[in-house]
Amino acid sequence: MYKLTGVTKLYHKGRRTVPAVRDLTLAIEDGQWLAVQGRTGSGKSTLLNLLGGLDRPTEGTVELDGTDLRTLREEPLTRLRAESIGFVFQTFNLVPTLMAADNVEAALIPLRTRYAERRQRVAAALESVGLADRASHLPSELSGGQQQRVAIARALVKDPKVLLADEPTGNLDEDTRDEIITLLEQLWRDRGLTLVVITHDTAVARRAQRTGVMNKGRLTIR
Amino acid sequence: MFFLKYLRRELRRRMRQAIFIALGLALGVGLVITVSATSSGVKKAQSKVLSSLYGVGTDVTVTGGNAGPPKGAAAQPPAVAIGKSVSNIVPSYAAVSASKVSQVARLSGVTAAAGVLSLSDSSITFRNGPPLTNSLTIDGIGTGHFSLGPLSGATLISGHAFTAADSNAAVAVVDSGYATSHSLKVGSALTISRVKYTVIGIVRQPQQGGTPTDAYIPLARAQAISTPYGAQKNDVNTIYVSAASAADISAVSKEISALLPGTTVTTASSLASQVTGTLSTVEKLVNDLGRWLSVLVLIAAFVLAGLLTMAAVARRAREFGTLKAIGWRSGRIITQVLGESVTTGIAGAAAGVGLGYAGAAIIAAIAPTLPATVPENTGNSVAQVQQAGPGSSLSSLGGTTSHTVSVPLHPSVTVGVIVLAVILAVAGGLLAGVVGSWRISQLRPADALARVA
Repeated sequence: MYKLTGVTKLYHKGRRTVPAVRDLTLAIEDGQWLAVQGRTGSGKSTLLNLLGGLDRPTEGTVELDGTDLRTLREEPLTRLRAESIGFVFQTFNLVPTLMAADNVEAALIPLRTRYAERRQRVAAALESVGLADRASHLPSELSGGQQQRVAIARALVKDPKVLLADEPTGNLDEDTRDEIITLLEQLWRDRGLTLVVITHDTAVARRAQRTGVMNKGRLTIR
Repeated sequence: MFFLKYLRRELRRRMRQAIFIALGLALGVGLVITVSATSSGVKKAQSKVLSSLYGVGTDVTVTGGNAGPPKGAAAQPPAVAIGKSVSNIVPSYAAVSASKVSQVARLSGVTAAAGVLSLSDSSITFRNGPPLTNSLTIDGIGTGHFSLGPLSGATLISGHAFTAADSNAAVAVVDSGYATSHSLKVGSALTISRVKYTVIGIVRQPQQGGTPTDAYIPLARAQAISTPYGAQKNDVNTIYVSAASAADISAVSKEISALLPGTTVTTASSLASQVTGTLSTVEKLVNDLGRWLSVLVLIAAFVLAGLLTMAAVARRAREFGTLKAIGWRSGRIITQVLGESVTTGIAGAAAGVGLGYAGAAIIAAIAPTLPATVPENTGNSVAQVQQAGPGSSLSSLGGTTSHTVSVPLHPSVTVGVIVLAVILAVAGGLLAGVVGSWRISQLRPADALARVA
């Protein structure tokens, strides 16, 4: 699935250059669940952004199924994200003015699916996360755990190959954290996705197949 | 469907800001409509004033110069005793050969020309105290057609107008004001230069503009009247000219001036520049201050809308970053933002049209009439005889007086102005959206997602 070779990402802050990721080499197989731990500022989120094509490496290659993401122009990269990559964020990132069903539907808009098919898939996605009865609720009317479920439904409604989750339980209490991770695990198993979870929580990381630790931009796989 | 749903929900969330932007645009648009409507009303009022001066359908008038002293006039006219009267018919302007009328009609850009002989029958009785004056203004007109000339704007209120058969008849059409003051009706007799004319019709001229002529008689009859200048046979002293189009008027005026040197060639625009009074002040105010004010308000509204939209886009950076992350193209997001701002623009346009109509209605209600002072070249004037006193001659006098009329101001909102206003408001919304959404195209998803909500 993923092959990262000698990937470095540098940020320039005035005269200073900050290496967020240094000379990282990594391979992630199809259907694998990788959890990446590390302290704040260790480069975890940057790694996720590179995997998701949200950012481009300064050096090195990021290949997804043989395609080097660095060489893709903006339009094909956006298309790739629309079709193949699902995102779950720490702060849920739901559109506050859209209801739960509409937030999930937003992920299908770039795919130009017909309205009837969209509504069907949205209903199925919400059902799979146990929120079929919350379809017409605004994010402000949902709990944190429910909002994250909607975000997961949005990520999965397009049947992606990859699900990238950046601290998916970071804003949740312990019980809800367990619910969400259990849900992710179940969906990973059922759909055979490739799942990469960024987390600082060891309890979450422990449930993955494979764990890596980011430290000052370098990744060590355990 | 999704586009409209998202648009509707977003505008509802930012209702206050959307209303604020729409109101700003509405104010600018309303001002444009009100100023345009007032300008249109002022133009209509002016053209009413001007057209009544020399008739509907007339684009150019040509008048002979001042008649000057008649030939052979005594250097010292004979004195008139107290209790006696002096009476004379004099032409209002210097003569122009009637053959010139057909020459003018054949000029390029001229559709028609009609010759008129304007006379003034004045009498003055000297007595102890102020002299008693009586005057009768007469226009000798062709009896063939009335679409051009002094009767073109008149309304026939009794009797009938001239026919071709009346070309040499002793018949007259009389102005309603003169008929009332002299108790004339259809069938009455009117004596002009010791000849009895039968009144066949009574007309009312438009209220605005100069003093209407008292009586109209066939041109041949007027030309036969003896004056201190001799009979004006084959002469006219005013030519009414109709141009093929507004664009031809200037060229036609120049051609006539070249053909008839020494005459006064007047167009609506040259006459307009002589109109003074509140009407012309309002015209300047509307055209200069009014237009600039509405342009400034519109610019301010556009800038405000643009800044507010940019601020809203900045606040939604994380939202747009997320949409980009899940696969939305920048163009799709920009279209969404443009849709929101254009919708606000349309709302502003609708409100602006309402404000514009209200503004025009208020102006019509509070400023119903405007005084306008218009010049009149009266040729030989009784007023100047009064100043000269007993012993004066009625001839060799001439001059210009002015006449003040009240003109109703009716601002009118036209479809063209409404369309322009709607386009301006929508353009304002679009511009705001383009300015605001420029940032979206520059937005890197990773940076947007890194921002704290």
